[in-house]
Amino acid sequence: MIRIKGKAVSPGIVMGRALLYNFEKEVIQAENIGEKSVEKEIWRLENAVKKSQAQLKKINRDLQKIMGKDAAFIIETQYLLLKDSHLLDEIRGIIQNKLVKAEWAIKEVEKKYLKIFHTIPDLSFKAKSNDISDVLTRLIANLKKSSPATSAPQPGQVILVADDISPSEAATMMSNKRLLGLVLNKGGETSHTVILARTLGIPAILDTVNATDSIFNGDTLALDSVSGEVIVQPTPEVAAEISLKIEKFRLYKEQLKKLSQLPELTLDQHQFHLHANIELPFESEIVQSYGAQGIGLFRTEFLYLDSKMSISEEEQYLIYKKIAQNIFPHPLVIRTYDLGRDKSDPAAPRHEENPSLGMMAVRLFLKDREPFKIQIKAIMRANASGNIRILFPMITEIEEIHAIREIMAEAKKELQGAGTYPGKDVRVGIMLEIPAAVRLIRHLGDIVDFFSVGSNDLIQYLLAVDRNNSDVSYLFSPYHPAFIHILKEIRSEVDRIGKEVTICGEMAGQPVPALMLLGLGFTNFSMNALAIAEIKRVFTRIHYARLRKIVSQLDSFGSRTEIKTFFKKSLLELYPDLLDSQRPL
Amino acid sequence: MIEKTQVIHNKLGLHARAAAKLSHLANMFTADIFLIYNEDKVNAKSLLGILTLAASVGNEIILQASGGDEQEALAAISDLFNRKFDEES
Repeated sequence: MIRIKGKAVSPGIVMGRALLYNFEKEVIQAENIGEKSVEKEIWRLENAVKKSQAQLKKINRDLQKIMGKDAAFIIETQYLLLKDSHLLDEIRGIIQNKLVKAEWAIKEVEKKYLKIFHTIPDLSFKAKSNDISDVLTRLIANLKKSSPATSAPQPGQVILVADDISPSEAATMMSNKRLLGLVLNKGGETSHTVILARTLGIPAILDTVNATDSIFNGDTLALDSVSGEVIVQPTPEVAAEISLKIEKFRLYKEQLKKLSQLPELTLDQHQFHLHANIELPFESEIVQSYGAQGIGLFRTEFLYLDSKMSISEEEQYLIYKKIAQNIFPHPLVIRTYDLGRDKSDPAAPRHEENPSLGMMAVRLFLKDREPFKIQIKAIMRANASGNIRILFPMITEIEEIHAIREIMAEAKKELQGAGTYPGKDVRVGIMLEIPAAVRLIRHLGDIVDFFSVGSNDLIQYLLAVDRNNSDVSYLFSPYHPAFIHILKEIRSEVDRIGKEVTICGEMAGQPVPALMLLGLGFTNFSMNALAIAEIKRVFTRIHYARLRKIVSQLDSFGSRTEIKTFFKKSLLELYPDLLDSQRPL
Repeated sequence: MIEKTQVIHNKLGLHARAAAKLSHLANMFTADIFLIYNEDKVNAKSLLGILTLAASVGNEIILQASGGDEQEALAAISDLFNRKFDEES
C-alpha cells in the first residue's frame, strides 16, 4: 500500500481500478516504404483525417450538451487545423518525397511547427503548440486500423492515471460515463480539465508529480479528493475505512442539498446572502442548485485568455447577457480582467522585477485601454435585464476611478450612438484588495455603488506575505489583528456612505473565518459554489447577536494564535457540535 | 502577379480566429495568395501557415496574389484587414 499526495481539485471519494493512460508513448520509427506503397499511405492518412474530424465533431457536440456554446473554446482551433488543406498537403508531400510512413510524416510536420512556435516570444501564439500536438497525435492514433482515438482499453469504469491529458482527451473521457476519477502528475488549477471535472462531479487529484511511477494498470485505487490523497492497493482495513468515508460523503452531499433550500437566516432571523464565484459561463447554469442566490464574482480572465486575447464586443455581449438571464432576478457581478500578476500570464509585461507590485489589472488596462473599453462596452450593453454590476479590481487611488468613469461615459455614448444601449446603467463597484483603498471609501459615495473585499489579496498586501511561498505562508492568516482591524474599518466606512459590501475571497467559503466575518457585521458573501452549503449550514445554526458578542472581544488579543483559539473555543462553548459536520475531513 | 503592402490594424494581430477568417476568405479565390512578413512567405490559404507568422498589430506585411481573380482577392483580403477582422466594434 502506498499513499500519494496531490492537489484535490474536485471533491469526492471513489474506489476503482487504475487505467494508465498514454503512459508509454509509442515510439515512431522512420520506416521507409516503396514507391508502390505511397498511395496506400496517403489513403491511410486521408481516412485518419476523416475519422479525426468526425471525432472532434462528436466531442464538440457532447461537450456542448454539458457546457453550452463555450465548448467551442476547447475544440475550435483543432477542428480548423484539420480542415487546413495545406497542413495535409505538407504531410502528403513528405510521404511522397521521403518515402516514409504516414506516422513519420506527421511527426516531421509536428516537429517543424513546434520548433517555429517555440521561437515566437508571444505566449498567446505559443499556446498554439498544444493544439497542434493534440490534433496530430489524434491523427496518428487514427492511422491504426480499428483503433478509437484513445488507444487504451476501456473496460467499464476506471480511475484514469496519466502524466497530463490534453483538452480534447479530457473532454472525451469525461463526457462519457467511464470515468470514476482522475489522477494526474501535472495539471494546473485553472485548466479545462479541472473545470470539466468539477462540473461533472468527477473527483480529481492533480500535481502528484509521479503518480504514474507508483501506479500500475489494474491496481485498486482509493481516491480521496477531499483530503487530496490516492491510496494504491489499500489493505482490507484501509479499504473498509474508505468505504465508510464514501458512505459518509454521500450522506453529506444529500444533507447539503436539503440545506440549499433553506432560507438565508440565522437562528435569530438575521439575514445573510450567499453568492457564487464563477469562472466559466456554463457554471451560471448550475450554481443555483448549490444554493447560490446570485453570482458575486464572475472572473473574466478566462474569456480573454482562452480567446487568445481576441474576444470581440459582440461575443462578450452574448456571453454576459446569457449569464445574466440564467441567474435573473439575482445579481451578476462581472469583474473586469484581473491579469498581469502571474509570470505565465500572456498579458503580463515581461521583465518586471516585482509583478505583484507592478502593471496589473486596472493599471495594465488604463494604459492599454482598447480591450478594456471593449469589455466595458459589452458589459454595459448586456444589461437589458438590469441585474448586471461591474467590478474593477486592484484599485489604489481615486484617480483610477475617475479614469474608469471617463471610459464608461465614452462607452455609453458610443453604445447610444450605435443604438445598442439598453437604457439601464450598470452599478459600479471596486475591489478592496490594496489596503490603501480602504481609506478612499468615505470619498467614494458619489462615484461607487458597491464594494467587494478580495480577502486573499488584502491579507497578502497588508501582511506583505506571498501565501504561495511555503517558507512564509504561515504568516498568511485571517486572524492577524491588523486584518481584523481593517475589516472593521471597511464595515464602518461602507456604512458611513450607505453602500453595500461583499466578501469574495477564499475566507468567505471557510466556516470559521466566515463566522468571524458574519460577527463583524458582513452579510454578503461570495464563494466557490461547492462551499455554499457548508457555510449555510453553520450560519443557519448560530445566533447573530451571540456571534457579535464573541467577535467584539477579539480586540483584546494581540496575537493571531490567541484570536483563533479564543474564537473557536467560544463558538464551541455555545454550539458544541457546530463544526463537526458530516464532512469527511 | 500583384502585390500590396498591408498594415495590421487589429489589436491582436494574426491570432487563431483572425487567421481562420483570413484563410477561409483566401480559399474562396482561385488565385495563389501569399503573405510575406520579415523573411517568411506563407500561403494565405493555410491557417497554420498564417499562425506561424505571429504578426502583430502595427506590423506591415506584403499581400501577393497571382492568377485569374488576383485583383478581387487582394481587394477582399485587404478589406478584411482594414475592417480589423470585424473584431473591434
